[in-house]
Amino acid sequence: MSSREQILNTIRANRPAPVELPDIHAPVFVHYDDPHQQFSTLVETLGGCAVYVNEGQSVLDAVKAHWPDAGQGRIVNLLEGNNAGQSHTELQAQSQSPHDHQNVDIAIVAGQLAVAENASVWVSNANLDCRSLYFLCQRLVMVVPRERMVHTMRDAYAQIKIEERGFGSFIAGSSRTADIEQSLVMGAHGAMAALVVFV
Amino acid sequence: MHDDDIKHPQAAAEFLQDRPHARWHDSAVWWVRKKRDAQAEKLPEWEQLRALADQIKAHTLSRLDEYLAEFANKAKSNGVTVHFAQDAQEHNTIVHGILAAAHVKKLVKSKSMLTEECGLNPYLEARGIEVIDTDLGERIVQLRHERPSHIVMPAIHLKKEQIGELFEKEMGTEHGNSDPTYLTHAARANLREHFLTADAGMTGVNFAIAETGGVVVCTNEGNADLGVSLPPIHISSMGIEKIIPKMEHLGIFTRLLARSAIGSPITTYTSHFHQARQGGEMHIVIVDNGRSAILGSSEFRKSLQCIRCGACMNTCPVYRRSSGMSYSYIIPGPIGSTLGPSRDIKKHASMAFACTTCGSCSNVCPVKINLHEQLVGQRAKAFDANAVPRLKKWAIQTAGFMMKHPALFDFAGKVQRTIIPIVPEALLKNSAWHKYGRATPDMPKDSFKDIMRKRVQGDKK
Repeated sequence: MSSREQILNTIRANRPAPVELPDIHAPVFVHYDDPHQQFSTLVETLGGCAVYVNEGQSVLDAVKAHWPDAGQGRIVNLLEGNNAGQSHTELQAQSQSPHDHQNVDIAIVAGQLAVAENASVWVSNANLDCRSLYFLCQRLVMVVPRERMVHTMRDAYAQIKIEERGFGSFIAGSSRTADIEQSLVMGAHGAMAALVVFV
Repeated sequence: MHDDDIKHPQAAAEFLQDRPHARWHDSAVWWVRKKRDAQAEKLPEWEQLRALADQIKAHTLSRLDEYLAEFANKAKSNGVTVHFAQDAQEHNTIVHGILAAAHVKKLVKSKSMLTEECGLNPYLEARGIEVIDTDLGERIVQLRHERPSHIVMPAIHLKKEQIGELFEKEMGTEHGNSDPTYLTHAARANLREHFLTADAGMTGVNFAIAETGGVVVCTNEGNADLGVSLPPIHISSMGIEKIIPKMEHLGIFTRLLARSAIGSPITTYTSHFHQARQGGEMHIVIVDNGRSAILGSSEFRKSLQCIRCGACMNTCPVYRRSSGMSYSYIIPGPIGSTLGPSRDIKKHASMAFACTTCGSCSNVCPVKINLHEQLVGQRAKAFDANAVPRLKKWAIQTAGFMMKHPALFDFAGKVQRTIIPIVPEALLKNSAWHKYGRATPDMPKDSFKDIMRKRVQGDKK
């Protein structure tokens, strides 16, 4: 008998009495009066920042306004119809392997949804073949339409879809760790800084 | 890598030799517990979330075979290779088989208590594969040839100066520099080289979704994500109890996990892996290693609901004052003290006795495991299995006999109240009272029963 069958058989033999699956949609969950305010305040404590683009301002303008030194390093911009920075097509042509993103300073990617309760953004970009971009870049910019804001993770899971070759992630702020004496340090292995741009 | 010979009381006494360090450990861990409270208070539905999580996990365990089969079939249809391992040995053989077939020389691993449980690192290293733990805390204990002392904060038992010295030796950082930011960024640079040159990446699993056949991994550092998005081979190891029925249920668990674990609203990365990266391959190893046996025990099966947040450790007054190094099982604290003895009562009996039954662990557990009740149950099991030291067994038997004979109990109390005050201090020197520098307490005139009797009579008047 295979290990699969052996394990499943033991489980079957040891099965507890049936327990009903609860209805997770029944309770009323927290509702923020101003979810954008909640998001913006929280993301700061998580090593990120939220900005809103003004009329006539491009995402890249917003990024440069936030990081005045932007443009000195390599910028990859995956937004449709935005020619500033390295475009998606150029990127695909140049990137032979996921390792090619290691010298990316700023990556600008689409975020599909923002969650007010924890300041995370859902990223799962269709046609992006190298998910390493999210994690290898030094600074990550996630661009989210401002109406795509939900209150809690329950609302988020009702809306998200996994697009990128079976990969998607909620990303909240910058990579961080507190493994040395509980001191919070921004910039562990992933992006050192994160910016959420609401358009 | 863990030492089965550890006996909690002795190991804890050793840890307490360095009082300032022990005090620091206590306050560092308690600080995380307080952060957890602050997060819980921000959500009016906190208790409802715990109740839902408990019910979802209990439901899943009651149909675990069906959900596991659904998960495995779905993952397979996503193009993922699924393996089943009955025990640690089979797990290690499978992982080594995958790596050997691809001629892997270097593996980057993100923190996984399951691979610790299976002893994977020494197994692979003995077969010529370099294993790099990439979670910062885990990397620190790996370089020190230690085991993690906490399941979420593996290096919480160490001071920054110890880490500074270690990094100076291992990575050539500046002498005497123990600034956490400096050290973290030194490790970042060092580990990035390993990420870029590894041939395979391995992660644990926080949640496995039966409905979609995908796994979810939560980290703050992004090490799991980097580790599996660069090399062509991605291996995830999961215990059979990690299953949840549907994707939507993550809307409950992802709200509880990081808040309970580190007092943060969520981890930086909550990543959902359903397929390999382009041009790569993905494997999932589903491990039993004694779990299906625990499922058969009505008394202890609830321990399988654990989502490994570590909140029970952070609140435990004994863990905080004795550190994870004092426990014999790879998972310390309250949850480890029931999981360890469930696996091997002879080896881990002392863990269940390292508990004051204060119940704080059960109160913070996000999936409502009745931890302190399980620990009492494990003690009974240890007693029956003859896994208790002789003196302790004798004391328990005596106490049991006294409790069953109230008249004798009352008499013994009376004798004690009379005799202790007239016994010379010197004779009590080696008793439990005196051992830790305590003074012998003043004996009350009346027994508790007498005091209560008088009070009740007083109330009646």
